[in-house]
Amino acid sequence: MASPGGQGGGALSTRGGCGVRRMKWALELSLGNTRSRSDRQGGQGDVVYPIGYSEKPVPDTSIQETDKNLVEKRCWDVALGPLKQIPMNLFIMYMSGNTISIFPIMMVCMMAWRPIQALMSMSATFKLLESSSQQWLQGLVYLVGNLLGSALAIYKCQSMGLLPTHSSDWLAFIEPPQRMEIMGGGMVL
Amino acid sequence: MACCSFSVSSKAIKVNIYQSLVGQVDPKETPMRQQYVGKVRFAHFDMHVQSSKKVLVATEKNVFASLNTRTGEVYWRHVDKTGPEGNIDALLMHGQDAVLVVGNGRLLRSWDINIGGLNWEIVLDSGSFQSACFVGQQDSVKYVAVLKKSAVSLHYLSNGHQKWVENLPERYVIHRYQAVYSGGNGEVYTLGVVPHSHITIVAYSVEDGEIIKQISVDAPWLSNIQASCAVVGQGMLICADPATVSLYMLDLNVQSQMTQIPLQSLGLEVSPGFQPTVVSTQPNPARPPHSEFFVQLGPDHYQLLQLNNGQIVALRDFKPAMLVSFATTGEKTVAAVMAPKNKTVSYFEDTHSFLSRACSLNLFSAESGRRLLDTTLIFNMDPNGGKPEKLYVQAFLKKDDSVGYRVMVQTEDHTLTFIQQPGRVMWTREEALSDVVTMEMVDLPLTGTQAELEGEFGKKADGLLSMVLKRLSSQLILLQAWIAHLWKLFYDARKPRSQVKNDVTIENLSRDEFNLQKMMVMVTASGKLFGIDSKTGTILWRHYLDNIPSNAAFKLMVQRTTAHFPHPPQCTLLIKDKDTGLATLHVFNPIFGRKSHITPPALPQPILQSLLLPLMDQDYAKVLLLVDDQYKVSAFPSTKNVLQQLQEMASSIFFYLVDSSQGRLSGYRLRTDLSTEMIWEVIIPTEVQRIVSVKGKRPNEHVHSQGRVMGDRSVLYKYLNPNLLAVVTESTDLHQERSFVGILLIDGVTGRIIHEAVQRKARGPVHLVHSENWVVYEYWSTKSRRNEFSVLELYEGMELYNSTVFSSLDRPHPPQVLQQSYIFPSSISTLEATLTEKGITSRHLLVGLPSGAILSLPKMFLDPRRPEIVSEQSREENLIPYSPEMPIRTEWFINYNQTVSRVRGIYTAPSGLESTCLVVAYGLDIYQTRVYPSKQFDVLKDDYDYMLISSVLFALFFATMISKRLAEVKLLNRAWR
Repeated sequence: MASPGGQGGGALSTRGGCGVRRMKWALELSLGNTRSRSDRQGGQGDVVYPIGYSEKPVPDTSIQETDKNLVEKRCWDVALGPLKQIPMNLFIMYMSGNTISIFPIMMVCMMAWRPIQALMSMSATFKLLESSSQQWLQGLVYLVGNLLGSALAIYKCQSMGLLPTHSSDWLAFIEPPQRMEIMGGGMVL
Repeated sequence: MACCSFSVSSKAIKVNIYQSLVGQVDPKETPMRQQYVGKVRFAHFDMHVQSSKKVLVATEKNVFASLNTRTGEVYWRHVDKTGPEGNIDALLMHGQDAVLVVGNGRLLRSWDINIGGLNWEIVLDSGSFQSACFVGQQDSVKYVAVLKKSAVSLHYLSNGHQKWVENLPERYVIHRYQAVYSGGNGEVYTLGVVPHSHITIVAYSVEDGEIIKQISVDAPWLSNIQASCAVVGQGMLICADPATVSLYMLDLNVQSQMTQIPLQSLGLEVSPGFQPTVVSTQPNPARPPHSEFFVQLGPDHYQLLQLNNGQIVALRDFKPAMLVSFATTGEKTVAAVMAPKNKTVSYFEDTHSFLSRACSLNLFSAESGRRLLDTTLIFNMDPNGGKPEKLYVQAFLKKDDSVGYRVMVQTEDHTLTFIQQPGRVMWTREEALSDVVTMEMVDLPLTGTQAELEGEFGKKADGLLSMVLKRLSSQLILLQAWIAHLWKLFYDARKPRSQVKNDVTIENLSRDEFNLQKMMVMVTASGKLFGIDSKTGTILWRHYLDNIPSNAAFKLMVQRTTAHFPHPPQCTLLIKDKDTGLATLHVFNPIFGRKSHITPPALPQPILQSLLLPLMDQDYAKVLLLVDDQYKVSAFPSTKNVLQQLQEMASSIFFYLVDSSQGRLSGYRLRTDLSTEMIWEVIIPTEVQRIVSVKGKRPNEHVHSQGRVMGDRSVLYKYLNPNLLAVVTESTDLHQERSFVGILLIDGVTGRIIHEAVQRKARGPVHLVHSENWVVYEYWSTKSRRNEFSVLELYEGMELYNSTVFSSLDRPHPPQVLQQSYIFPSSISTLEATLTEKGITSRHLLVGLPSGAILSLPKMFLDPRRPEIVSEQSREENLIPYSPEMPIRTEWFINYNQTVSRVRGIYTAPSGLESTCLVVAYGLDIYQTRVYPSKQFDVLKDDYDYMLISSVLFALFFATMISKRLAEVKLLNRAWR
């Protein structure tokens, strides 16, 4: 139109902020062509869905008869999870060493915290295992796995010297003994 | 018995690793140092330049120094050896040169007084020094004459070379030459006396030392020339004789008899029992002395006399006059006379009214005895000081040719006061502080007003209502003070820091946040007590105790601290006269220095020792027990309450006495009737060894950790016996092969010898520190000729016998004793250990070195568990491998370049901060600083970035607020979707 540079307004509007600032004027030919508006209104403004239409796909609820073994297998996976972690933990333990620094401490904390967390949420796990026929056995294995994990963490703490098992760890709490006699004197002045 | 074994470890120790463990002084905190010179023996004003600002002093502490007369500061100072070796026998001044005779005539030195540099020094022939004088000829001074017991020598003033030396003619064994004199006529006179017989005068020629003449005059009344004679005018010897109350006159130039002039003929009277003395002046050694002289006729009576053509004329009588002095400026000679201002009362009648009184000084013309106009100077004596003792006058010519003057007054308490007309005190120097005997540090009161309240609460209130009212009123005052304090804080905060005044006065004394500022209570040998602010070194109070015997023993005890607020703090000083054994108590408030209104008990019996119990009376004063020579105990305070407490506690109160002259250590038990019973005795035969010192533990010492953690993380428990005593003995045989030093660890309650160590081929002086479970001592090894440190540590073992109570009576197992020795590369002058509030901070040893440095030596270097072979466990324990040499690292010097001369003692006190220990070193100088043995672990660093931390905190806080809000919006939007 009246553009001195002979360039189309539509082309200009797609440029970056710096280009926008530089242009003296712009004309928008079509409504909703700008990026900002299209972002905000996309999918809602123009298009009206029919009643009862949901954008999200509805899961297929038709129950498929699967192999019972699959459930069982899944449940065993859950139950054996903590036990499977133990070799990994052992490797990490070996790698992190016994020095007291931030990374070994973080490892130990993680190693100790995870089984504890798992033990605390035992009921949720049991619910997960409800469908299994060997629920109790699986629960026991899960428990044992977690206990082993925490025992490992405690062993690690012990080998790092973080457990107050020595008499020196309680030294700071020994009160100075009360003195029974008062004594004084010195050289004859 | 332990022997020290040195083995050189094969590996060089990488000490740098441990260096980071060593605390260092923050250089920003300015330590306090004050330099002293000691009691002045000779003082001369620098007169060769009219506008000179120097006064040269030679002191009894063997110090020669130049002081600024405007400020009193030390320009330069030369500290000589202690004892008779460095004793300054004479100080002569001429022009720019000051000539000193040092060490009983051993050395003759000449100093340049402008810069304090040594011009020359020569060693004189042996013989005890008698007298010295300048010898001049034709108005120029070229020589110094030194009179020894048997010889007189003449030295050039320019280079000290000896011109001649002549033996004195000696006809009698008891012949004593005592004075040397020269009147500028080419002759040197030596004056000798055979006591109660005659005077001998020998005149030598200056040129070649030839005897020109020898006169012997009968003088059966004379015993000491220096005390009673002086040369006046053209070689006229004038002596005063108290027996016949007359003056004797003898012309040195012509052989004649002594002419007797009865003082009565001059209209003079001598106070009964007083030895009259003659004071003359010889301003220019090249000329004869002035013909005017003073005769002191009584303690407060002086007479100015003139010798006129062989006749003595009385010029003026001065009574009362305390001190007189001649001063010369240009051609004018004046006499300064100090008199009590109130002339009607003699000042000897009542010392108290005397002390609070002012003195006036006046100048008199020496020729005529007339008083010079406008020369009155008022000297207000310190009511807490002593009487004036010496007067030094600096006279100068004013522009109108009249004589102006300033005076330096030395008082009994070794104070120097410099006064200008008409009585402005320019400076004072408390030279008594050069001889601090003992000291304590006392916490300051919380606020000044609180201290004032103490007076109000000191009185006993009667009745409930009045007590309530008193409490309320005091609380109101406290509130008011607090508001005023807050207001002041607010007000000061707006001002720039430099403008905020921080003058310390006794009114605004208050404890700081961390109790770093304390009151140093110092007791000096002269009997003057000082209260000094530890931060600035300002003397806040002083108190002179007169009638202190010269050889008194002092013991200072803090009976009540400032913690018991309504009651004032209370210190007690036990002063014992060593000759009579009798003791007195001086009870005072350590913050204000005032004598307490509590009257201390009279002590008719000689006192052997005192014992401060942790028991308190109802006024929170700790009980002081005094043991007399009948081994009876008296208590102070001795109220009913105290006596009752003592009766209850008597069975657990023990004390020990050490008599080094008899080599006897004995322990006593208190009975309920305050008598005592000896329960043990250890005799150390005095023929073989003598007890040098006994050290117990400091009562205010806390030990935080009851044991040491081993490498295998078990615990080695410390043997912390509070009743343990370390006794040091030295052998009487000083032969280097046979001398030894013994250390005895004795339980003070039971007398049980816990440990005994003998250091063979060793000699004292032994310096010892006894603390916690260790004893560190230092001695001279005669075998290897070096100084050695040895450390003893005591451990109970891997198990505690009884962890709740410690009783010396129930200790079946002897402790394990470990010992190690080290070579120290320097001799030491004193040794002390740091002390902190809770004992968590690691310990350092503070070593005063003769060089004037104070070394902070980490205790971990003196650890008998230092291994010879490094093992995993020892590394775990942070033990430094053993190496026999103890290093001295310059960064361990806590006083940097500020040397402390002749450190005699180091006092350590805990501060409110666990990391910080306050240190005061005293000797000739006083130095106060703080040490941080484990660095300042409880204090934020100076460069701690408060701005950054707080801005980050605020930014994070706002960021959380904003992001929370944003999250809410987002959640809402999502819900709308």
